[in-house]
Amino acid sequence: MAENREPRGPVEAELDPVEYTLRKRLPHRLPRRPNDIYVNMKTDFKAQLARCQKLLDGGARGQNACTEIYIHGLGLAINRAINIALQLQAGSFGSLQVAANTSTVELVDELEPETDAREPLTRIRNNSAIHIRVFRVTPK
Amino acid sequence: MSNAKERKHAKKMRNQPTNVTLSSGFAAERSMKHHIGGGKPFNAQKQEPHSGTTRQRQTRMTPHSLSEPDGNELCSSKVTFKKKGGWKAGPEGTSQEIPKYITASTFAQARAAEIRAMLKAVTQKSSNSLVFQTLPRHMRRRAMSHNVRRLPRRLQEMAQKEAEKAVHQKKEHSKNKCHKARRCHINRVLEFNRRQKKNMWLETHIWHAKRFHMVKKWGYCLGERPTVKSHRACYRAMTSRCLLQDLSYYCCLELKGKEEEILKALSQMCSMDTGLTFAAVHCLSGKRQGSLMLYRANKYPREVLGPATFIWRAETTPGDPSESRQLWIWLHPTLKQDILEEIKTVCQCTEPIRPTLGIPDPLQTQSQEKNQAELPEEQIGKKRKRKDNGEIVKPIKKVIGDGTRDPHQPYAWLSLTTGILISDLTTEMNRFRLIGPLSHSILTEALKAAAVHTEGQDTEETPHHWWMEACKNPDSVCLHRKQEAVFELLGGITSPAEIPAGTVLGLTIGDPRINLPQKRTKASTNPEKCLDNEKVRQLLLEGVPVECTHSFIWDQDICKSVTENKIPDQDLNRMRSELLVPGSQLVLGSRESKIPILLIQQPGRVTGEDRRGWGSGWDVLLPKGWGMAFWIPFIYRGARVGGLKETVVHSQYKRSPSIPGDFPDCPAGILFAEEQAKNLLEKYKRRPPAKRPNYVKLGTLAPFCCPWEQLAQDWESRVQAQDESSIASSPDGEESDLSSGDEVLGAAEPATGPQLSDDVGTSAFDPKEPEEGMDTECQVQAGPERVKDLGSGENCAAAPGGQLCVLRSRKLLKRLSAWCGPSSEDGRAARRAPCRRQEELTREAWLPILEHFPRALVWVSLSLLGKGSPEPHTMICIPAQEDFLRLREDRRYCGPQEPKHRDPFKSKILKQKEKKKLEKRKQRGCATSMDLAGGDPVARQEALPLGLWSGPLPAVTTHCSRVLLGFVTQGDFSMAVGCGEALGFVSLTGLLHVLASQPAAERGLVLLRPPASLQYRFARIAIEV
Repeated sequence: MAENREPRGPVEAELDPVEYTLRKRLPHRLPRRPNDIYVNMKTDFKAQLARCQKLLDGGARGQNACTEIYIHGLGLAINRAINIALQLQAGSFGSLQVAANTSTVELVDELEPETDAREPLTRIRNNSAIHIRVFRVTPK
Repeated sequence: MSNAKERKHAKKMRNQPTNVTLSSGFAAERSMKHHIGGGKPFNAQKQEPHSGTTRQRQTRMTPHSLSEPDGNELCSSKVTFKKKGGWKAGPEGTSQEIPKYITASTFAQARAAEIRAMLKAVTQKSSNSLVFQTLPRHMRRRAMSHNVRRLPRRLQEMAQKEAEKAVHQKKEHSKNKCHKARRCHINRVLEFNRRQKKNMWLETHIWHAKRFHMVKKWGYCLGERPTVKSHRACYRAMTSRCLLQDLSYYCCLELKGKEEEILKALSQMCSMDTGLTFAAVHCLSGKRQGSLMLYRANKYPREVLGPATFIWRAETTPGDPSESRQLWIWLHPTLKQDILEEIKTVCQCTEPIRPTLGIPDPLQTQSQEKNQAELPEEQIGKKRKRKDNGEIVKPIKKVIGDGTRDPHQPYAWLSLTTGILISDLTTEMNRFRLIGPLSHSILTEALKAAAVHTEGQDTEETPHHWWMEACKNPDSVCLHRKQEAVFELLGGITSPAEIPAGTVLGLTIGDPRINLPQKRTKASTNPEKCLDNEKVRQLLLEGVPVECTHSFIWDQDICKSVTENKIPDQDLNRMRSELLVPGSQLVLGSRESKIPILLIQQPGRVTGEDRRGWGSGWDVLLPKGWGMAFWIPFIYRGARVGGLKETVVHSQYKRSPSIPGDFPDCPAGILFAEEQAKNLLEKYKRRPPAKRPNYVKLGTLAPFCCPWEQLAQDWESRVQAQDESSIASSPDGEESDLSSGDEVLGAAEPATGPQLSDDVGTSAFDPKEPEEGMDTECQVQAGPERVKDLGSGENCAAAPGGQLCVLRSRKLLKRLSAWCGPSSEDGRAARRAPCRRQEELTREAWLPILEHFPRALVWVSLSLLGKGSPEPHTMICIPAQEDFLRLREDRRYCGPQEPKHRDPFKSKILKQKEKKKLEKRKQRGCATSMDLAGGDPVARQEALPLGLWSGPLPAVTTHCSRVLLGFVTQGDFSMAVGCGEALGFVSLTGLLHVLASQPAAERGLVLLRPPASLQYRFARIAIEV
């Protein structure tokens, strides 16, 4: 079709867009407990911070308050997860502590074929993640 | 007479005309008072021609209504009303007012008028109530409304009339059967069978009919939306829990034959340009479900027939070319007829196969039905005898599957030349769709793999011989175990989006009714199952192994036996009640049904950047007859059920086109648009003109339908005019031409003109630049040649350029989508798309596309920048230069306003009305003398609805202050994104021009204006491939 006449740049070789389309699949997720918070880059930072604070504070009289929450961040959101945890800690006057864990998450990239003759491929890619435990300590 | 009584009487008689009291004299008055006060019958009044008491009562009950209409007449006969408390002063006052003499004739006349008025008031019932409701409490009896004879006799006549009136309004009940007889099972089934003759019922119909608004659509009775308020709840179910839908109305076509032949035949109907076809390797092996667009044979870019999904049956002996393969094509019912005809011609399947014994003969069943329908009618009044006949009638069966199929119509066709057998398997299977992350746990909880039949069990009892046979083969037992293991693994995966798109998994399961929970429960993911082991990883990476896709559901005979050997609910419940320990597990052993099913993963949102995997789920295919047996267990595990409306919402949030509304170029889509326009127009006309928008004043030419043809045509001619002007003269000539045509594009052009020429100059890397850059006259001549060498085949070049089509070539769409994005300076976008650089938006790049598709539409998704929620038929317009300026100044600028238009039709319509009125008056004046049949033609023609454009539409693109680009087909506030979102089509020509004219930072910004509003709002356009 029209592509035949199109100029082809040098970048094309690295990912053959003619044969495959890249589709990133969702990361494998474990079931979520009520005190797990997955941080993303879409939602407003303030909203996410408020959500964590609410979980720690509980209801109006402090019922259902969690003694610890887990904040998970993946890839680009690691920064934000750390930021949220530190903000929580800073705003708690010393009653909250943080403990961070890092891990590596395997992500699956699907390569969808553009031609009938090719099989779909999958690629595994690693990305780093952080899991921050924010917990209450009884002030001495 | 005591004082209190007098006072009471006075109060009652306050509004009575004086002369009434006068004429009867004081004694009569007293008696009347008695009568009124105590309600005793009075002899003197019985002599009156009409039943006096009734009249009296009615007079009493409606004193006010009586006095008012009488007032005029009485006044005219010079009778005055008494003042307040007049009765008391009556006897004294009368002596002065008594005239000395009366003329008999005038007096009699006056009295006659009075009597007439009174009679009229008495016979006319002024209140809204029924007769028996006006009775005093102590005269009321039970069931008066039902039985007229319980009323006092004098009222019976009137009540009879009222009852008759009410009967007409009520629905006709079948007279020959009492309520009990109607509820009798056999009669109910008969009635149900009769009622689903015209519009087929799904197996879950009765469940749905109790809970949903039902609509008759596409030859089915379908649930449109739940009667409970559940829009948001259904959305939540889709995103975080599980939404269940009955998609059994989808049609399935089966193709059997040699793989080679089928592929050869079907390859004419699809094109590689639109994506993968039937021949895609992973689909052909049976591992995945594929989806594609079907076209009329060899007509590729034009004449689309509609989208379809398909599954191949996995080969039993891989690599054997002579093996007969089986292919299922799943279609929306609106597309079925066209596609079936086309497939038949493509496969040369002309030989219809009469239904054999293998398939239940619809003729037979229908005649049976008729007999059964006639039987009870003969026996009206002979209730006792029914029982004897009941035994004969017993084999009545509920219509399972297609009850509406015309018995004379074949539904299997064989080709003698290619050996392909096409059969229509519509409603031979049930298809349920589970959407949402909890669908895994619901599936694994509700369905349990069938127990393997061991040799030790006695073989006599079981009716499921096919399963016994299968269990004898160690290979198939091994396969069954494998499938079971894979299925169990699913329970530990928290979202269906993690599994490769379109994965197929076959399974044989036990009766799902056996382990039904006592109460409705909510399934949740079991954390213990969520093992992060090697097996799960394998499943996620490679999907289900090919051999596990095998299912017995592909085998018609087995399906039939499964349907026939289903234990009825009644028997199952009886067995359950006979259990020694109530509530314990029912063990049926070898008698338990084994049901072959097929699970197909449905990819959710795969295109675009955000919300990936949203709305993914599983489809479950079951043999017919088993619908309810699966439906209830799913619901008991916490699935929420959605109807057709939820399907539309799902496709909208997924940003995928909905069938058939979003296929304006396929016949079903055109039909749908026509119907929709008709409905909307009717709805519009139902409102009074003052209470509905005047679309002419709002500048909306087509509020109820989208004139795609005209849009594409307008843009084509615009571009041609532009080109010609640029050929003929210098750029300033072009400008002047444009500004005369419309100001908007003219305003935009000065910026674009130089830019375009710049692009031509700077596209140095383009090796074909000299050719492209030649003078425009040559370009025009070179046009057809280019089309030829660009076309993927001679069919493309041969296709008429004038026809509307939707651009579905993936390559072109990808390029367009790259151009649409704002090629902004921010680093992320630039980093993300290094390959986009290669195809910059140059005139050279898009001219060939235009020449190839002069009248094409492009499917786009739009998301609003700020406020506003678009609705269907919203106009997509091009922002003017000044709008951008204001947006740049103020980020929160919501958009320009359309100036109000004049309504040229209003005066015409008013004149027409005046004329009609005049004529009517004339007619009344000289009713007989005039020959009215040949009257004014204007008056004869139907009145135009005020507020709509009548006659042919003018140029659609330039009608408003902003140039029209396209229309929205679906649009609403999207709960998934949190802002207004719309999907629609724009003209390809227009889109390319807009993109080229817009500065890079603001590329892809358009304006949206709903049909009933003057406010434009900014939205960003995106093309997702």
